[in-house]
Amino acid sequence: MAFTSLAPARPLSGSLLTRNCPDLALVRTAGTEYLLTGDLAGSAGSIFIQALMNLIFSDFFERTRLAARALVDFGENLFNPTVRLGVTGLSRAGKTVFITALVHGLARGGRFPVFSALARGRIARAHLAPQPDDAVPRFEYENHVKALVGERAWPESTRQISELRLVIEYQSESGRMRELTLDLVDYPGEWLLDLPLLGKSYEEWAQESLALSRDGPRLHLAEPWHAYLATLDPYAPADEQAAMTAAQRYTEYLKACRDERYALSLLPPGRFLMPGDLAGSPALTFAPLDFEAGGVAPDGSLWAMMRRRYESYKDVVVRPFFRDHFAQLDRQIVLVDVLAALNAGPAAVRDLERALGSILGCFEIGRRTWLSTLFAPRVDKMLFAATKADHLHHSSHDRLEAILARMVARAAAGAKFAGAATDVIALAAVRATREAEVRRGGDELPAIVGVPAASEQAAGQVFDGEREIALFPGDLPADPERVFAVGPDGFKGITGVSHADAAFRFLRFRPPRIVQAMDGLPSLPHIRFDRALEFLIGDRLR
Amino acid sequence: MNSPVEFRRPAAFRPDDPNVVLPAPAENAARRRLATVGAETEAEASFEQEGELVPVRPRKAPWALLFWASAGGLVTLGLGLAVANLLSDLFARADSLGYLGVGLAALAGVAAFTILLREALGLMRLATIDKLRDRASETIVSDDRDAGRAVVSELIALTRRTPELARARARLRFHLGEIIDGRDLVQLAERELMPGLDEEARRLVGNAAKRVSVVTAVSPRAAVDMVFVLITALGLVRRLSLLYGGRPGTLGMVRLMRHVVSHLAMTGGMAVTDGLVQQMIGHGLAAKLSARLGEGVLNGLLTARLGLAAIEVTRPLPFSALRQPTIQDLAGGLLRSAERADPGPRAAVQD
Repeated sequence: MAFTSLAPARPLSGSLLTRNCPDLALVRTAGTEYLLTGDLAGSAGSIFIQALMNLIFSDFFERTRLAARALVDFGENLFNPTVRLGVTGLSRAGKTVFITALVHGLARGGRFPVFSALARGRIARAHLAPQPDDAVPRFEYENHVKALVGERAWPESTRQISELRLVIEYQSESGRMRELTLDLVDYPGEWLLDLPLLGKSYEEWAQESLALSRDGPRLHLAEPWHAYLATLDPYAPADEQAAMTAAQRYTEYLKACRDERYALSLLPPGRFLMPGDLAGSPALTFAPLDFEAGGVAPDGSLWAMMRRRYESYKDVVVRPFFRDHFAQLDRQIVLVDVLAALNAGPAAVRDLERALGSILGCFEIGRRTWLSTLFAPRVDKMLFAATKADHLHHSSHDRLEAILARMVARAAAGAKFAGAATDVIALAAVRATREAEVRRGGDELPAIVGVPAASEQAAGQVFDGEREIALFPGDLPADPERVFAVGPDGFKGITGVSHADAAFRFLRFRPPRIVQAMDGLPSLPHIRFDRALEFLIGDRLR
Repeated sequence: MNSPVEFRRPAAFRPDDPNVVLPAPAENAARRRLATVGAETEAEASFEQEGELVPVRPRKAPWALLFWASAGGLVTLGLGLAVANLLSDLFARADSLGYLGVGLAALAGVAAFTILLREALGLMRLATIDKLRDRASETIVSDDRDAGRAVVSELIALTRRTPELARARARLRFHLGEIIDGRDLVQLAERELMPGLDEEARRLVGNAAKRVSVVTAVSPRAAVDMVFVLITALGLVRRLSLLYGGRPGTLGMVRLMRHVVSHLAMTGGMAVTDGLVQQMIGHGLAAKLSARLGEGVLNGLLTARLGLAAIEVTRPLPFSALRQPTIQDLAGGLLRSAERADPGPRAAVQD
C-alpha cells in the first residue's frame, strides 16, 4: 500500500534535482541538435555523451546519497525523534527573529495560549543542545535576544548560515516522558533564490534574466549594465576582465533592485548579493550575456566560460546548500514580507509572487508514507505566514492573509493536492506595536502605535527613532486581486510616487520596550506565533 | 489615488493628539466588551427564541393552535369565574373570610407568575446554550475572529455562577484582549473552562450507571427498578444541565429529555460501531453468571449512554480541543464492579 501511494507522486526518474528539468533536458536537446545538424566534429559528440553520462551519474549519486542519509536519519529518529523545521523566507522576511522568538518562547515558557502543549503545562523544559553539524557556526541566539530586548534593535541581516538544536522535554498525553529535537537553520534569504537555478541551464537563465531586466521599473535600474552588455560579444574569446566587469555591473543592478523603493524580490543568483565566504571567486564571476536563442557556444568563447562558471556555481554553491539544508525537511514555514512589497507598488508585489512560486517549486511536499519516511522525506505540513503583522491593525489581518493566499495559491494548491496540510496566517514573532483608534473628520481609523526606526518617513515627516507615533498605514483592499493589478489600475507605491502619495505606508518599528522582571526576561509579545507553533509542531508533542 | 472610497490615505499622528484613542489595558477592555455583550445576550436570546419558533412550526392551518388557545382561554375563564364566585361567596359569609380569600388568591397568582417566569427563563437559558454550541461549531469552521470573541464572552457570562472557574475566566478574559483567531479562541475557551466540568460530568454519569446496575441487580421487582432508572435518568440529566450552566425548570426538563432522547436515537446508529459488540459480550458474560446481574449491567450501560447523550446536549461547547468521553471511560469498569459489587475505579481523571 505504501508503495502504490508513493509511486505516482514520485517516479523513480523524476528526482529532486532533475525534476525541475535541469541539466539532462538541456544536454538532451543539445544532443539531438548535434545529431540533426551533424556538422560538429566527432570529438564534440563524445564530449556531449560524456557530459550526459556525468549528469546521469552525478544525479544518481546525489539521489543515492540523499536516500542513504534519509535511512540513517530514520534509524536515529526511532530513538531520538527529530523535527527538521525549514524556516524559509527571502531576505528581510524575518527568519532570524522568528527563530530567536521560537527558542526564547520555548526555553523561557512564553505566553502561548493557543500552543496547547505549553499552555497545558505538558512541556517540562526546552534547552539548547550541541548542534549536529560541527562545521556550521552556531546561531547566535543569546546575542539576538540581547539586541532585541536590550538595544531594541532588530538583528542585522544574516550573512552566513548558522544552526541551532533545541531539545523539548515533554510529557505525552498518555503520560510518558519524551523528548523532541528541533533542528533550526538560519541563512541569508538571498541564497534561497538560487534553488530555482538548479533547474535551469545557463542559456535559459540568461535569457530570463535579460527579459526580466527589460520589464517595468527594472529597465531604468539596469541601464548601466545594459550599456556594458551591448559592448560584449558572446562569441569573442574569453576575457577575464570583461567577465569581472559584467558580474560587477550585474551585481550593482541587483543591489539597486533591492532598494526599499523598489523592493523587488526575484534577484538570482543569491550569492551576488550576499557572497558569504565566496566573494571574488571565479564561481561568482559570471553574468547573463545577450545571444540569439538556439545558438551554440564555440569553445573558448566568453559565452562558454560564462556557462562553465554558471554550472560550477550550481555545483559548488547551490547543490550542497540545498542538499544540506532543504532536501530533507519535515515541516516548513514560509515567511513572506508582503508589506515591503505593498509599500513599493504592484510591480514589487508581482515580483514577490514570481519569486515565491519559483522557490516553492523546489521542495518535496506531500503526505508522508512509511516508505517515503524511509528513503525520501517530504514536508507534510506547510505554513505560509505574512510576517510583520504588527505593522497594521488586526482588523486588516484577514485581508493581508487573503493577499498572501492569492500570492502562493499555486504552491498551496499543489501542496494540498500532494496531501500536505497548509495554512495561511498573518504573524508577528515579536510584536512591536499597540493598537489605537484615531478620529479624523468623522472617520475612525484603525491605527497602530509604536516607535518607528530612525530615518523612516511617512506623511511628510522623518522620524528620529525615539518618539512614539500613531500610524494609520492605509486600507488593504477587500479584494486581493487589486494589489496585483499593474498599469493605470494598479495602486500607487513609492516606486512611482513620493512617500506622501503612496497608497500604503508600512513603517519599520523598533522592537517593543520590555521591562526586565525579577526572574529574568519576561516573554516577548507576539501575534499568532502560538498558532504557528501549534500548526507546525503541535501534533508531534501529543 | 484611483478610488479614494476604498483606499484611505495613510497618516501619522502624535499619540498625545486628542483624536487618538488608546485602548484601555486588556483586562478593562475585555470587561467592557463583556458588559456590552452580556447586555446583548438577553435581547439576542429572546430574539433567537422567536427565530426558532418559525422553522420548528411550519405554517400549517392554525386550527390546532386556535383550538388550544381558545380551550385554554375557556379553562382560564372558568377558573377565574370559579375563584370570583368563591370570593363573592366568602364575602357573603363574612368580610374577614373574603379578605383572607383575596389574599390567598393574590399569593397564588404571584407564585404562579413567578413559576412561569422561571420556567421561561430556564427555557431561554437552554436555548441560549444550544445556540451557543451551534455558533461555536460554526466559528470553529469559519475561524472568524469577531464571532469567536462573541462566543467566548457569552460563555464567560454563562459560567459566571461557577466559582471554580473564576481563575480560568480571568485568564480567558485576558486572552480576549489579544489578537487570537476565532477557532483558536473557542478551543482555548474549551481548554480553560471545560476540563473541570467534563471531569465532574463523567463522575456523575459513571456513578449513575453504577447505581442503576446495582439496584437493577438486587431489586425484587421489575417495577421498582423501572421507577428507579427513570428517576436516576431524570436526576442525571438535570444535574448535568446544572453543571454546564443551564437552569432547567419542569418545562425545561421536558425539552431537555426530548433532546437527549432524539440525540440518542440519532447517535444510536453510530454507537453500534464503538461499543455495541463489547456491550453484547459483556452482557452475555454477565448473563451467564446470573440473569439479574446481566440485566443490571445492560441497564447501567444504557444509563451511561444516556449520560453521554445528555453531556452532548447540555455542554455549551462542542468537543473540539478536548477528547469526547466514550462509553468505555464511563462504564468500562461497570462489569467488574458489578461483579464485585464495589465502587471500582473512578471515572478517568483529567491530565
